[in-house]
Amino acid sequence: MKVAVFLPELLRHLFKKPATVDYPFKKLTVPEGFRGTPFLHPDLCIACRACERDCPAEAIVITQESDVEKKFKMVIHNDRCIHCAQCVDSCPTNPVKAMDMDHLYELACFDRHTLKTEWVFTRATPKREPKPVPAAPASDRAGIPAK
Amino acid sequence: MAVLKTILYLLVYPGLLFLFVYGTFCEWFDRKVYARLQNRMGPTHTGRWGLLQPVADFFKLMAKEDIVPDAADKPLFTLLPIVGLAVVATAGLLMPLWNPFPEAAGLISFQGDIIVLLYLLSLPTLIAFLAGWSSTNIFSQIGGTRVLTMLFGYEVPLFMAVLSPAILANSWRIAEIGAFYRARPLLLLPNVIGFVVALICVQAKLERTPFDIPHAETEIVGGTFTEYSGKKLAFFRLMTDIELVVSSGLIAAIFLGGFGGSPILAFLQFVVKTLAVIFLLSLIRALTSRIRVDQVVAFAWKTMAPLAVLQLLIVIIIKGLLK
Amino acid sequence: MKFNIPIGPQHPALKEPISLRMTVEGEVIRDADLRLGYNHRGMEKLAEEKNWTQNIYLVERICGICSHSHATCYVQGVEKLMEIEPPKRGLYIRYLVSELERVHSHLLWLGVAGHEAGFDSFFMYTWRDREVVMDLLEMISGNRVHYAMNTLGGVRRDLDEIQIKKILDGLVVLRQRTEYYFKIGASEPTFVGRLAGVGYLSKEKAIALCACGPTARASGITADVRKDDPQAVYDEVPFDVCTADSCDVLGRTVVRIKELMESYKICEFLLRNLPAGDIAVKAPKKAKPNEVVSRYEAPRGENIHYIRSNGTERPERLKVRAPTLANYPATIEMLKNGFIADIPLIFAAIDPCICCAERTVELVNARSGEETVVRFGDLRKLAGERFAKSPVKRNAVWPF
Ligand code: SF4
Ligand code: SF4
Repeated sequence: MKVAVFLPELLRHLFKKPATVDYPFKKLTVPEGFRGTPFLHPDLCIACRACERDCPAEAIVITQESDVEKKFKMVIHNDRCIHCAQCVDSCPTNPVKAMDMDHLYELACFDRHTLKTEWVFTRATPKREPKPVPAAPASDRAGIPAK
Repeated sequence: MAVLKTILYLLVYPGLLFLFVYGTFCEWFDRKVYARLQNRMGPTHTGRWGLLQPVADFFKLMAKEDIVPDAADKPLFTLLPIVGLAVVATAGLLMPLWNPFPEAAGLISFQGDIIVLLYLLSLPTLIAFLAGWSSTNIFSQIGGTRVLTMLFGYEVPLFMAVLSPAILANSWRIAEIGAFYRARPLLLLPNVIGFVVALICVQAKLERTPFDIPHAETEIVGGTFTEYSGKKLAFFRLMTDIELVVSSGLIAAIFLGGFGGSPILAFLQFVVKTLAVIFLLSLIRALTSRIRVDQVVAFAWKTMAPLAVLQLLIVIIIKGLLK
Repeated sequence: MKFNIPIGPQHPALKEPISLRMTVEGEVIRDADLRLGYNHRGMEKLAEEKNWTQNIYLVERICGICSHSHATCYVQGVEKLMEIEPPKRGLYIRYLVSELERVHSHLLWLGVAGHEAGFDSFFMYTWRDREVVMDLLEMISGNRVHYAMNTLGGVRRDLDEIQIKKILDGLVVLRQRTEYYFKIGASEPTFVGRLAGVGYLSKEKAIALCACGPTARASGITADVRKDDPQAVYDEVPFDVCTADSCDVLGRTVVRIKELMESYKICEFLLRNLPAGDIAVKAPKKAKPNEVVSRYEAPRGENIHYIRSNGTERPERLKVRAPTLANYPATIEMLKNGFIADIPLIFAAIDPCICCAERTVELVNARSGEETVVRFGDLRKLAGERFAKSPVKRNAVWPF
């Protein structure tokens, strides 16, 4: 029976860099396909409501602003969102999806209502020339890279 | 003047204040070493390298609500933390440290002080048992009985292991034992078995893994101290820290040749040697998994006690040879 | 003297709320009683309100550790109901994630077992190495916990060459570490001494009490849905069912470590033989009226979903039987005549996932109701005995 087989392993790590990260001061980078927070490219959306129907958390609400104009309002309730990206999968616009995910992950806040984001936009006509890929909106949370 | 100096002695150095500062430092050291052995960071943010974390913990606990359970034996429940702290602080005074107040010397160094120190170090165990029992919580009571069961295991080997160097040095005075071994460093070698036994028994006395049975949180929540909170818990934690300092100081004084030379040198020796002992204790903590209380008693009587007896025999034989 | 010790619903050994009530004599457990129902979330009812797609994400959230297990079990069933056949590549990726999930779950369990045994260094090291597989899963799926890889008719994300390379590299590291832990576990005397002989469950008892998963396999039963009823890819993949004969917590540890090694083998096979092609087919919105039972070998044992459709966009009924529920009766058996010190180990050894198991209210009521009847007689006798012996004892008994 050997005593203390774990000893070499422990001593080996005594002067090694810790495996943990000094979190709020140092951050790990998230991988390329990370599912962060959903956001809308308003000029691509055709207001088909596929995302609203398939969202498992009922976090997306689309309303028509007025009957005459093709104006719509989309609200994403980030406090309800479970970051599954089903809305991105369901979105039919081609070749660029109107719904997209960024890399934000530090979403904690004191008031859940501040987590709401909304867009008011005119419905895009489906068969238009594809627009260039719009950039993601800059992050409003300091230190976190947007996509 | 002498009175003032005695008061300074009791309260500042090497009394309460010093013990508090050094005790929290040792806790930080223990936590940091433990964390590093596990490839973690340990305390990081409070003070430089997290040095003030144990102090911050202490003051945070002091500020917390202090709850005394209705069913508890209130006077006993309240008194125990204070008595516990007083006992270990008294034990701390017996450390053969450099003493700037010679007037108070008679208080702290005399023939037989090693026995008194060992006795004072046994008291916290009893206090932990009483604390568990007086809380009348089922978990505390199980913790309390476990404390006592363990006490019957490790106390005898500890005494035998600690007293054998004293027998060789032919003195019951810690300072003299240290001086004896400083004069003949080679004689420290026969005491190695005793050193190992004493280290393990101190680990058990301090209730650290693998002997953290009385407060094994996955089994019996907080164990003995389940019902304690706020100031009382802070006192108990400080008591454990000081107990750590005193017992590692005792081992350093007896098995590692004590602390001699000029005052500064002696103090440095004290720091280095106690930290070395604490490092070993942390290593044991990181290395082992908790065992059951019946296994502790079996281990103590089947392995530790024979080893301690062996140590005594070696010491007696060597003593005969030296004569 | 007999005590009643309450473990839970809030207790450091339990990561989720459940109540265990122990009758102990000294340090020995004489009787145990288990009560559920603290974590019931009404998911089965909710599932009837959501459409087929939304439900994937709902069932995924039944559990945090085996999220992919529930989603896969559900998706398998719905695909049968909808009569669609996912493409091979999609299936390979789906079960690759399954096996990676098993790896992360078993590593997590190893750490927890170390912690419950009071071996915190082991806990820290296993969890550090578990990060490797967590990172791989995050890279594949975009999230560390809820991978959301499944969709009806396949998977949602493809693997490219770089990712395959990274996974293979990660598997090499993991295999090396697992072998190391196997060595440690086999030769660290305090650890082995703590696990051996604890929580004995004989083979006959295990069969009689319907234990499943590693708990059953550690009692020498070769039961594994992957072999007995191979889903999709498992009949193409070579692997062994791991068993142990020691019937105790040590055996359960050994089975899990062996399963880790098998999972690495399966992952490597799946990656090396990944067929080309699509990863998903389009699924219809509705399913014809029918019913299906879907089985899946989750890390904790056999997971069963019963799904009934009625021709609409929504399921008419979804019933989930999680492996932990099947292991509860066996746990009670294991606890009897053990030590208090062994409670956390024994309980952890079935790798309980309490929120998985909390499904039906009816069952809980039936159970606890019946138990109460038994208990009251016991309790009265017990109380009488104690009163006769020690009349003055303030508040020592947990108020039932
Ligand atoms: S990510 Fe999922 S939960 Fe969030 S808005 Fe999109 S569909 Fe809804
Ligand atoms: S975001 Fe996409 S799915 Fe949602 S309404 Fe706009 S176009 Fe349709």
